[in-house]
Amino acid sequence: MRIDYNIKDKFDFWVLGSIIALITFGLMAIYSSTLNHPTAYGNFEKQLYWAVGSFIFLITVVFLPKQILRLSVVPLYVISIAMLLVVLFAGKTVYGAKSWLSFGPFGFQPSEFAKIGLILSIAYWFGNRQRDINSIKDIGIALIISGIPIILILLEPDMGTAIVFIVVTLTMIFWAGISLFSVFVVLSPGFVAFSSLFGTVYFLISLVIVAGLLFFFKRDLFFSITIFVINISAGFLFDFLFKILKPHQQKRIEAFLDPAADPLGSGYNAMQAKVAIGSGGLFGKGFLHGNQTQLRFIPEQWTDFIYCVIGEEFGFLGGIAVLILFLVIFIRLLHILSQVKDAFYSLIIVGILTLLFTHFAINIGMNVGLIPVIGLPLPFLSYGGSSLLQNMILIGIVMNIYKNRKQNV
Amino acid sequence: MDAFGSLVRKRILTTVIIGFFSLLVIQLFTMQILQTEQYDLKSRDNSIKGYETDAPRGTYFDRNLNVLVSNKPAFTLQITPAYYDTSFNPMIEKILNEQPGYVSRILYLNRYYSKYSPRNIKRDIDFQTIAWIEEHEEYLKGLSYKIQLQRDYSYGVNGSHIFGYIKEVPPDKLNEEKGRYVPGDLIGFSGIEKYYEKYLRGEKGVKYYVVDARQKMVGRYDEGKSDKVPVKGYDLILSIDAETQKIAEKLMEGKRGAVVALDPKTGEVLALVSAPEYNLADFATVTTRDVFNKLTTDPSKPLFNRATASIYSPGSTHKMVGAIAALEEGIIDENSTLFCGGGLNYGGRFFKCLHVDGNIKVERAIEHSCNTFFYRLALSLGVDKWSKYAHKFGFGQKLGLDIGEEMSGICPDRKYYDRVFGKGKWSEGLVINLGIGQGELGVTPLQLAHYVSLIANNGTTGTPHLVKGYIDKKGAFHAFDYKNINLGLREHTFEIVKKAMYLVVNGNGTAGHIRMKNLSIAGKTGTAQNPFGKEHALFVGFAPYEDPKIAVAVIVENAGYGGTHAAPVAKEVMKTYLKVTDDDVSGSTSTIAQVTED
Repeated sequence: MRIDYNIKDKFDFWVLGSIIALITFGLMAIYSSTLNHPTAYGNFEKQLYWAVGSFIFLITVVFLPKQILRLSVVPLYVISIAMLLVVLFAGKTVYGAKSWLSFGPFGFQPSEFAKIGLILSIAYWFGNRQRDINSIKDIGIALIISGIPIILILLEPDMGTAIVFIVVTLTMIFWAGISLFSVFVVLSPGFVAFSSLFGTVYFLISLVIVAGLLFFFKRDLFFSITIFVINISAGFLFDFLFKILKPHQQKRIEAFLDPAADPLGSGYNAMQAKVAIGSGGLFGKGFLHGNQTQLRFIPEQWTDFIYCVIGEEFGFLGGIAVLILFLVIFIRLLHILSQVKDAFYSLIIVGILTLLFTHFAINIGMNVGLIPVIGLPLPFLSYGGSSLLQNMILIGIVMNIYKNRKQNV
Repeated sequence: MDAFGSLVRKRILTTVIIGFFSLLVIQLFTMQILQTEQYDLKSRDNSIKGYETDAPRGTYFDRNLNVLVSNKPAFTLQITPAYYDTSFNPMIEKILNEQPGYVSRILYLNRYYSKYSPRNIKRDIDFQTIAWIEEHEEYLKGLSYKIQLQRDYSYGVNGSHIFGYIKEVPPDKLNEEKGRYVPGDLIGFSGIEKYYEKYLRGEKGVKYYVVDARQKMVGRYDEGKSDKVPVKGYDLILSIDAETQKIAEKLMEGKRGAVVALDPKTGEVLALVSAPEYNLADFATVTTRDVFNKLTTDPSKPLFNRATASIYSPGSTHKMVGAIAALEEGIIDENSTLFCGGGLNYGGRFFKCLHVDGNIKVERAIEHSCNTFFYRLALSLGVDKWSKYAHKFGFGQKLGLDIGEEMSGICPDRKYYDRVFGKGKWSEGLVINLGIGQGELGVTPLQLAHYVSLIANNGTTGTPHLVKGYIDKKGAFHAFDYKNINLGLREHTFEIVKKAMYLVVNGNGTAGHIRMKNLSIAGKTGTAQNPFGKEHALFVGFAPYEDPKIAVAVIVENAGYGGTHAAPVAKEVMKTYLKVTDDDVSGSTSTIAQVTED
């Protein structure tokens, strides 16, 4: 085997460049939103150190021997679960969720660390050629592997991260080859329930789509009708599910459906974020000149609402630039995906891709008012050390796989 | 197709990613390109707050351009809780002369507002306190003051019933003119302040500030370039003569009644006093409930405008109506005599006179205030003719004074008696009492002054008014138009009546004691019976007799004889207006004349 010393072959500079650009955008936005802030003025500096530190981690991960990934699956999973348990008893409560562990001056979120554990362990489980993706037993075990951390995270409670875990698990199962019909059976009730949120018309439209897909799959009539009935009840179940949610979560959904109804209450953030982005216009108001940002109309803007700093101060051009940088990362990950033949590595990349994309979609979606407010940071941009470190490690893992891709063939 | 990591599955993933990416791009495009203006508006709305600044109300000038009412700054003490240390409370309360707990109570009442927005602690703070705050500014964090304009009445003219007062806008007015007033604004409530509100109020200014999410002011918006400067209201030029008004006010101090002085040629009000007056300065900032309650429950009704809205029996001052009517209708001429034997028997009732005048001419009848003469005149005229002339002189109707607040009074005619007593159920003899200004007759002091003006100026005058015109922003004067009145009666008639009125003062009449060497005053006294107490004293007159420049009506309630109590007031008013200083009263002050009146 010929060892290629061309550096381009070892590093994906598209991904690396995009990440550096995104972190730079993030640092500027953090600087802008915390300038002269009474309590958060030090965040820019902290994030800068985290950025440098996590970059070293990334490089380190890239150069680790490739065997380390398989070897670390079990220890990482066990440590993740252990920390998620510890945080429930000894964690620090921030914004109503017990999600932080403190070590002296450092704090970090075990749920961030658990993401790596989850992706690696699901990948490991389905990466084994002996598994039958369509056997109830194998899928069941996979659901247990991801179910344990999901339940622990829901107990914190951290709804946003739990959603990410669910989406990542389902996508990885999908990638592992589960039949599309099974995917359809599992996902359609959720789709119908979500559509019914917006009213009867949407509910009926979603039912028509479900009926059309049932026709496409051409299964036997009794089975098809059963699934259709389940879908109808899912739509009606919405009311019931809605009542299970905590009041602040209900309010967030209501605020999303009609942000103007309660502009000073739960719709406030969603409304102000839209105002910030919308008022940015084509070129933006200029760095440090966004009045929504500088006058702090969006609380804690440097975390989940960092995107509206960019939207306001750098306008449509800045907003599109960030979207494109993310798109570059996603396309490159898909590209790398097609070069990696090993199921384990392939699943890891899909997991990481899904994780980053879910964060991206939910975060920017809520910033521009397409999705209800769910507390999730924007990868590489939002202020937060553990989130950044975790994302950099994930990218490091992708790069590690990329570097070693030819050996994997 | 369903294998691990198949191309189809990769395409599905790619589709989801590209699909959602496109959705975000469309949403961004919609918000930032298509709808950016409306979001920009909301964003400005968030952070730019306009604070209205009051426009100074127009100034009042008198007919000689002396200032009557203007504006002066008033200080309101404010506290901004975000910067304020509550341990200063006791000290501030002591300085403001307030009870302990005053400051903390106001801060508590306003606790739900942003702690960065200043609270009004006390209005109308004196200058010494403000100076003290300025001096100790660096220690007294959070303490500030606001300058507002308030009416300045310090020019020596009280004019309460002319100028009127301003008060906070009532709710109905807020709805009536949407957007013009906000709660807490001051609006004219009576007098000129009310009727000329549109001219006086000016246009409010706006100062724009940048505020943050907690409403904390961060700075001026656009360096103040977008601010709107308040525009002062139009200044009004009044027909009032400040000196005359002052004298009239001074003379009526401690009395109840009214003085109205008009320029007979134009109808311009030279002085108008309703006594007792009230202190307009009490209304200058925010009227306290105490002050207002005291004024509204005062039995002497100081808020009520007696000069235009109080109805009195005119008594003998009204006798010229009958004289003019009879002269015009040809019932008498200046040489006709009627017999006075000390009274008149009519319909089994005796109408008495205070003296026995024998055969008497109209001139002497007015000079001497003979009742019998006017009983007979009224009988000869009958109700219809008498009331026709009484109405001509403005009785029984509103004269259209520009500040409103007028009463019509009562001037009986056939219809009136039919309505009150029933058709055919009243005697023509009712007119007898009207002839001497008694009976069902009710007049306002303004009507009396207008009536004397018409006599003085031979049947022509102008609609009575207080405001001559306004001065616009460029300094140009715009006069208001007032209707001229011409009764179309013969000059000769007026000459006879005026001569008689001249003799009332300068002959052997009832007002001889106000006679002056260098000013010829003409007039007529009256004493109105008052069922509730002592008679009201009345006097109407004009001066100078040769070329009348001022017509005056005076009523002093519960004072007694008109010649004694009302005529001297009129004389002083005339003297002041005409700038006649020599007050050499002739020796003919006749006690007999006073006693024999009416």
